[in-house]
Amino acid sequence: MRVLYTSLKYLAVVLWSTFVIAPFLWAVSTSFKDFQSVTNGATYIPWVDFEPNLEGWRALWKSPAQGGVDIVEPFFNSVFVTASGSLISIVLGTLAAYALSRFTFKAGFIRNGDITFFFISQRIMPPVVLAIPFFIMLGKFSLLDTLAGLIIVYIVLLMPIAVWIMVDFFNKVPVEIDETALIDGCNPLQAFYKVVLPNSIPGIIVAGMFCMIFGWTDFFFSFILTFTEVQLLPVAIVALNSSITPWWSLSAAALVSVAPLVLVAFIVERYLSKGNLSGALK
Amino acid sequence: MAKIELQNIAHSYNPQSAEQIYALNPFNMTWEDGGRYAILGPSGCGKTTMLNIMSGIVQPSEGNLLFDGVDVTKLSTSERNIAQVFQFPVIYGTMSVEQNLAFPLVCRNYEKPAIDAKVNEVAEALGLQELLTKSASRLTADQKQLISLGRGLVRDDVAAVLMDEPLTVIDPDLKFRLRRQLKEINQKYRSTLIYVTHDQNEAMTFAENVIVMDAGRIVQVGTPKELFERPKTTFVGYFIGAPAMNFFRCERDGDYSLRFGGNTITTQTRLTELSASQLKLGIRSEYIKIVDTIGQNTIPARVKRVEDLGNHKLVSAVSNDLDIKVKVHRDTAIPAEQVHLDLPAENCCVYADEILVQN
Repeated sequence: MRVLYTSLKYLAVVLWSTFVIAPFLWAVSTSFKDFQSVTNGATYIPWVDFEPNLEGWRALWKSPAQGGVDIVEPFFNSVFVTASGSLISIVLGTLAAYALSRFTFKAGFIRNGDITFFFISQRIMPPVVLAIPFFIMLGKFSLLDTLAGLIIVYIVLLMPIAVWIMVDFFNKVPVEIDETALIDGCNPLQAFYKVVLPNSIPGIIVAGMFCMIFGWTDFFFSFILTFTEVQLLPVAIVALNSSITPWWSLSAAALVSVAPLVLVAFIVERYLSKGNLSGALK
Repeated sequence: MAKIELQNIAHSYNPQSAEQIYALNPFNMTWEDGGRYAILGPSGCGKTTMLNIMSGIVQPSEGNLLFDGVDVTKLSTSERNIAQVFQFPVIYGTMSVEQNLAFPLVCRNYEKPAIDAKVNEVAEALGLQELLTKSASRLTADQKQLISLGRGLVRDDVAAVLMDEPLTVIDPDLKFRLRRQLKEINQKYRSTLIYVTHDQNEAMTFAENVIVMDAGRIVQVGTPKELFERPKTTFVGYFIGAPAMNFFRCERDGDYSLRFGGNTITTQTRLTELSASQLKLGIRSEYIKIVDTIGQNTIPARVKRVEDLGNHKLVSAVSNDLDIKVKVHRDTAIPAEQVHLDLPAENCCVYADEILVQN
C-alpha cells in the first residue's frame, strides 16, 4: 500500500513537472530551429531531427532593417518600468502598511480595515475598467506613450499588492518591538527603520517579488497606453506574431522575457517560506 | 534614577463621556528613588496600564507624572529615559547579542569605550559573555529574555527599570537566581525597580514594598509583612497567602468581641462605635493553633481532611458549618476528629463592609 502511494505520488509529480516544463522545452527547441525545421512537421531532437542554429537568438538584437526583431530596447524599458514601479510601490506601500498596522485612523465611518480594503479593491476591479480613466488622465498630462506614464500606472497597480502583503506582515510583528525601540531611545521613525524594517525584510522581498511578477507580465496597460515611442517587452513579443511569424525568434524572445522572473524566483525562494513564518517573533 | 510621582493619574477608555469607564481609577502614588517595588494583582486589574503610563507607551487621560518634580506627562517615551522589560522576550532579531545590549546606549550616542564597558559588565552579571557574538534570534526563550533584561539594565541613568512579568518564560531555577541578581543590582546601583506580577511569591520575595491592585484600583501598599498580617481589605486577604485568609461572617458581641457560628471571639479591635452592614473576622491559617484545652479564644471543630504540603500540613476543619483552614508544622499531631482551635486575639482582623477596622 505504501509502495503504491509513493508510486502514485511520484507519478503525479512527474506528470505535473512535464506539464510545467514541456512548454519551456518546446520553446527552447524551437528557438534553435530555422524556417524549414519549424514548418516541415514535428521535430524534437537537435542534430537528429533538425540542425540547430542561433539565428533565432541573433535576431533578438538585430534591427528590423537587418532582418532582426530588436527586443533589446523593449527589454530594458520593461526592466526600468517594472523596477521603478516596484521599488516606489514597495517604499510607499511599506510606509502605508506600517501606518495602517500601528496607528488607528478614524474618518466618519472609515476605519483602518476600510482603508486597507480600499487599497485591495483597486485589484478587485477588472483592468479594463481602469483603462479609459488611465488613458484620459495620462493624455491630459501628456504622459501617454512615455516611460513615466507607465511607471505611474504601475505604481497604482502594484502598491495595493505591497500594502496588502505588508499590512499582514506588520500585524504579525509584535507591537512590543516598536515599544521597546521607543523605550531604548528611538523616535517613531527611527524605531521603524532601525528595528521594524530590518525584521521585515523577508516580507518586503515577498511583496517585491509579487510586484515584479505582476509588473513584468503586464500586457494590457502597456499595450493600451503606448504607441510608437515606448514599447515594453510583452508588447514587442506579441508584435512578432505577424503574417509570417518568426517562431524561432518569438520563442527566443519569450525565453528572454521569462528568464528574469526565473532568476528572481531562485534568488528569493528561501525568503518565501521565511516570509510566511517570520511573524512568529516570540 | 529619580523619584517618580503619579498625581491623580487615571486612564479612561472614554475620557469625553460623562460616565467614564476606567481601566485605572484616579490615584496618587510615589515611587521613592532606589526603591524596589512590586505591583501585584489579578489579570486585567490595570498593572500593565500603570507601567505603560510611566514609560509613556500609554498617555493617561487624567493627572500628571513627575520625575524628580519635573512634569513628564507629555514627554515621549524616548525622552523619559526609562527602561522597560516585557512579559515575552523582545529582541532585535537581526542583531547580535552584543548589538542588542548596546542598542539603548547607541541610540543615546554614548562613546564606544563606555558602551563596550557597560555591555561587558551587564553580560557578565547575566551570564551572557559566551553569547555576545551570536545572533540574538538563535537563542532560547530564557536567553532572549535575559537580553531584554540586559537592555533594561545597561543604562545607569534611567529613571526606573519597569518589568512586566519578566520571568514568565524563565525556568524556575534560573528565575530564583535572576530575582536574587535583580535585588543585588538594585542594591549596587540603587536603581528604582518596579516589577509587575500576578505571582504573590515573586512579589513578596522581590520587593520592599508591594502595591496590590484590583479592578483598576490600588487596594493596599505595604511591606510583604504588612500585607500578610494586616490585609486592608478582604480581597487582599484572599489574594495574598496560600491558602487564602480565613473569613467568617460575624456579629458584634461586646466592645472587643465578635460572635460567629455559635462561638465568641475576643479581638484587639475596638468595635464600640462601629456601624457597618456586614462584619467579617479574618485570620490567617498560619496563626490558628490546634490545642488540647478549651480557652478564651478557642472554638470546637471537626477535622475533615489533612493535606501534606511537604514541610507543612494543611488541615481542613469544620466548626458549625464554617470551613476553617489551619496550617501547622508537619510534625504536629492532628487528632482524628474533634479538635479545639485557638484564634489568637492579636492575629484576628475585623472587616467592616470588606474594609479592615483599624484603631
